[in-house]
Amino acid sequence: MTENELPVGTTPPFARMHRWLKRGLFVCLFGLVIEGALTVPALALWYGWPSLSLTEICSELMKVRYSDDSLDCTQPYPLSGPPFGGAPEGAGQQTARDQWGIQPVPQYPRVGFRELVRIHDEREATDSR
Amino acid sequence: MTSMTLDLHEDESRRAQKAADRWLIVGSILMGSLVLGPLGLPVFCRGIYLLHKAQTAGLSVRPMMVTLIGYVIIIDAAINSIGWGLDVFANHALITRTIFTAWGNLMDGGYFWHYNELWIGGAGAPGEKSWIIICIVVVFPMRIAAGIAFLQMRRWGHQWMIVTCWFGLITWLGYIINMTMYADVRYAGVAFPVIGWWLYNIFYITPFLAIPYLHTVNREIFSD
Amino acid sequence: MAGRNGMSEQDRRRHRALIVFQIVVYGAMVAMFLVQLQMFFVKDW
Repeated sequence: MTENELPVGTTPPFARMHRWLKRGLFVCLFGLVIEGALTVPALALWYGWPSLSLTEICSELMKVRYSDDSLDCTQPYPLSGPPFGGAPEGAGQQTARDQWGIQPVPQYPRVGFRELVRIHDEREATDSR
Repeated sequence: MTSMTLDLHEDESRRAQKAADRWLIVGSILMGSLVLGPLGLPVFCRGIYLLHKAQTAGLSVRPMMVTLIGYVIIIDAAINSIGWGLDVFANHALITRTIFTAWGNLMDGGYFWHYNELWIGGAGAPGEKSWIIICIVVVFPMRIAAGIAFLQMRRWGHQWMIVTCWFGLITWLGYIINMTMYADVRYAGVAFPVIGWWLYNIFYITPFLAIPYLHTVNREIFSD
Repeated sequence: MAGRNGMSEQDRRRHRALIVFQIVVYGAMVAMFLVQLQMFFVKDW
């Protein structure tokens, strides 16, 4: 048995290439899995969970993207909604701020780390006053 | 070698292969679920370890690269399909709306800008829906089917892996070019423009890693 | 077909073609990334 046994299917000219491809694939696999698992927790934390519930985060994001503080996420959304023919939640909105043209440019503000919590609390404070 | 030892060898090889595959499949399913991913990884790695052990013991099992490419390509396609499937078919579920718009706001404005305003709901960025639909309806199912046949060491599996991985080239480049055309929509007002998206998505280049192998592997190892 | 020097002519051509493929593909992706990065520096995102 040769010392450096090549894997089945791999011929000597391509052994090194195959070895590096294998390493690359392992890196991708680990990367995909770890980031896949961390995505939801990371997003939840950035956008204010657990100070804000999921529905509140949904509503806050909706207010930002349509620049309208009166919007809220209807929960649960009727099953007749998209893609089954019903109207989507943003249908008919008029408040979104964009520079329209062939290349639209959104005009909403950036949301920083847990900034939604501050925005939400400030609005609650002014509303209750 | 007598025919009895050959049978024994084949039998043992088959059993070792099945044992490894059981761990690999369960690991893949867990990883495909995203949330249970970290559980799936050690399970999957145990399958790889069993395969490696069988190989060094001289059993005729599937080559490591074929196993790795097959499973990783399938997992890649499955994760993408789940994500985009949600965007098309479940875009008004609370978890979808919240997580997608959050992700969009953090890294890719295409999933934030006018989200759920299109008649079909979901991402509204120019061109995005076309890419999503063609991928989940054509590209990923074909890739998964080819991956399964490839893992079964079938010749058509090997051939169709080549085809579907080249699809991946078109998909990747087409998708990025579309993003670049409408870069303002994708990146304005986003927490981590450009860098966020690229760091997150770079791990999906698995078809590009598979293509050189598929073209240089000895085709004789694939049968039927 | 395999030469005694290890790599046949076909293998050599294939090897070079795949190197070219990888350079082109990863090069295209890097180019797209740089284009986007340049936009990021120029525009007010």
